[in-house]
Amino acid sequence: MEGRPRALLERGLCSAVDAQWLMMMMMMMEGRDCLKSYDEVYSGLFDEKGHRKDGREMKEARAMYARGNFVSQAKGSSYIEMNKTKVVCSVFAPREISHQNEFSTVGQLFCEVKFAPFSCHLQRQPHVPDAEEKALSVALRKALEPTVCCHLFANFQIDIFVYILENDGACLAAAITAAGLALANGAVPMYDIITASSIAIIGDKMFIDPTEREEHLALSSPETKQNHGVITMSRMHGLKQIADFRQIGSLDVDCILKATDILEEECNKIVPKIQMILVRYINNGIIQQKKLAEAAKEREAALKIKMKEWSSSIIKISD
Amino acid sequence: MPGPDLLSSQGLRLDGRRPNELRRIRCKLGVFTQPDGSAYLEQGNTKVLAAVYGPHQASKSKRSETVVVNCQYSMATFSTGERKNRPRGDRKSQEMSLHLRQALTAAIKTELYPRSQIDIYIEVLQADGGAYCASVNAATLALVDAGVPLRAYVCACTASMAWQDGDPAPLLDVGHVEEAAGGVVLTVASLPSTGSIALMEMSHRLHSDYFESVLSRAMQGCRDIEVNIT
Amino acid sequence: MAGVLLSRTEKVFIIDGVKDEYRSDGRSTIDYRPMELETNVVSHASGSARLRLANTDILVGIKTEIDVPKPDKPALGKIDFFVDCSANATPEFEGRGGEQLANSISNMMQRAYQSPQAFDLKQLCIFEGKQCWKLYVDILILECGGNLCDAVSLAVKAALFNTKIPFVKAALMDGGNIDLQLSDDPYDSKLLDVGSAPLLVTLCKIGNKCVVDPTAEEEKCSSVSLIVGVTGNRKYYSDDDTEELPAFQPKCSAISMHGPGSITTTTLRNAINQGIIAAVCLDEALGKTVVRERRDIEKFKRHSYGFLK
Repeated sequence: MEGRPRALLERGLCSAVDAQWLMMMMMMMEGRDCLKSYDEVYSGLFDEKGHRKDGREMKEARAMYARGNFVSQAKGSSYIEMNKTKVVCSVFAPREISHQNEFSTVGQLFCEVKFAPFSCHLQRQPHVPDAEEKALSVALRKALEPTVCCHLFANFQIDIFVYILENDGACLAAAITAAGLALANGAVPMYDIITASSIAIIGDKMFIDPTEREEHLALSSPETKQNHGVITMSRMHGLKQIADFRQIGSLDVDCILKATDILEEECNKIVPKIQMILVRYINNGIIQQKKLAEAAKEREAALKIKMKEWSSSIIKISD
Repeated sequence: MPGPDLLSSQGLRLDGRRPNELRRIRCKLGVFTQPDGSAYLEQGNTKVLAAVYGPHQASKSKRSETVVVNCQYSMATFSTGERKNRPRGDRKSQEMSLHLRQALTAAIKTELYPRSQIDIYIEVLQADGGAYCASVNAATLALVDAGVPLRAYVCACTASMAWQDGDPAPLLDVGHVEEAAGGVVLTVASLPSTGSIALMEMSHRLHSDYFESVLSRAMQGCRDIEVNIT
Repeated sequence: MAGVLLSRTEKVFIIDGVKDEYRSDGRSTIDYRPMELETNVVSHASGSARLRLANTDILVGIKTEIDVPKPDKPALGKIDFFVDCSANATPEFEGRGGEQLANSISNMMQRAYQSPQAFDLKQLCIFEGKQCWKLYVDILILECGGNLCDAVSLAVKAALFNTKIPFVKAALMDGGNIDLQLSDDPYDSKLLDVGSAPLLVTLCKIGNKCVVDPTAEEEKCSSVSLIVGVTGNRKYYSDDDTEELPAFQPKCSAISMHGPGSITTTTLRNAINQGIIAAVCLDEALGKTVVRERRDIEKFKRHSYGFLK
């Protein structure tokens, strides 16, 4: 890869400074393949056997690891890991909306998505939210609004913070699923569990749960008129409702409808995992409570015995 | 005063006007349906939209014995030759909002509406000099359209100074090119029918001997505009 | 939308009306309200358009600037959308009140124009890797009468159709920098190929039906709406009719949902199909209008009205 700027330099097409700069840029974006042609990048997505680079089938989503109670300070929290995409979400208890003149009859969600400075190839500004983060925050809020019983906490807002530790594609889907889990973990009243899944489409190939490279290529410009794009869908499983649907790129109708079916299935696949985690936490909670109750009983019994001893001893002394 | 060459030897200005000539004024009332009053005013190539909401109940913090006149001046990002980054909130817009408020408060019968508020929003679509004057004139029209009681029409006009064969020749209704040339610009907002001045502002240097003539030219301009828009 | 107050009975009236295919202004669920369009209204801008859709009033001005292309996309120009909600529309937009709405519209436009099949940024390239045109699409919302997204997308497409970009006369290489000389003659300019630019269609879910072009009152009655961006057909925007164009198939360039509600899969499918049909009709009407207007301007048949009409 380093040959190209050098070749340009030798042919006199760019100055030495430019060549150096180009080389630096290329090193910075080693994964970005900006100087490769479209076809090269495209074929780079597959290995010899026609599988995707990380060994998955086209229709195979990444294995997901999820857990709740990840952040001890938050009311509810969760952590989701899909191979290299890692997301933390914390939810805080409802609080009164500050700086607002009018009374709002429904509660509001405040969502903030942040990328860790080390989460992607390009360095991010740690403090100011950039355009992508703002867009993701809005998308997250839109996806969560239908599932939270907002009317139960009028004039209050729930803060939801998502921190993307590592981004390797499908981070919005991961963020929505994580936020859904965190809200349930924090015992916020909800209509249903919300799960999300994403798909990247290049030509007739559909990459379920795309990595960053696949996502990037699906959004960049092919020369031909083929379909390309990314769809993220979030779904409420029990109510059979789509909470949010966002597509970007250029796709024809049949393709979108086909992708919708696939995404629906994918979303449904995640639900049992989330349910299992929640049930486990509730079970754990119940067991813990029982234990605590028993321990309290024991302590009380011990205390009673002690009290008896004491009272008898006091009586003795008074005698 | 070594002013820039704003007048040709025939006594015509850069855009072909005579020194005491206004630019063409065209206006329309009631361009929108949602505001209580609205007006569109074109002064040459300067185009301004004004909308008036109210009088309505004032927010708690602002209530007073007279009506609160709330102005906002904002310029479309494509209104100037070079693109503006922000339509409002910058220093110049805030200053313009204050000046508008001052001029319009003088015209409105503020004592009639205690504890209420009138919102006046100005949107400059195209700026070619004299945006403030066009805004004041458009706001007056919008207030008239809204039926807000006024003491008198408030009109604003700019005037500048040029020299012809060594004689002073005050210029009326300064355009963007003349403004940029660096001469003096006197902005006057007045109530022509009462003859009083609501706001006056001047930039650059002018000898006090000539001030009277420039001022009277500007006042004449205000009277002309009043005739024009009524 | 902003500033509209509806009582419960009014809402019931609208919702039940839509259920029986009646809308309060007599339209069917797939009808648009009448529109007025005028291009070339702002002389300081390279291209401009004003669209009035019943009570919704949009003014779009496009400015061009020379910029350096992104290092990972050296052959592409740039396009930037900025929406300003004027306080003229409603006092709620005063100060920074309209920012949230403005951001959501500009994000939606940016996404819809992202695909090269929707808008080809290659035509904005001047000198690969060094210089390109940057289009600033500034959208000013002057009045809100419902259905902002559709009106904005129509006005933007008309303004882009109207945009003239000056030709580069000469380029001087000075070390690594390039000095461009632009043509001063306003007629010596190129037009953009915007035939495929997307139009947004809002489908407002009221009761169990989706309606296009909702009024502000109808928007109040709906908890969720789907916005579909559909690419346009070049055929309607080319001046000469003889040119052979490949068969056209409308494609979605962006889909998104707005509002706190949710929809079922069947509704989504129907809505997408309905949106595409509406977009194709809209695109044809817009194309014919702007081409006719351009011809009229060439023959000096048209007067500029602006806001004085």
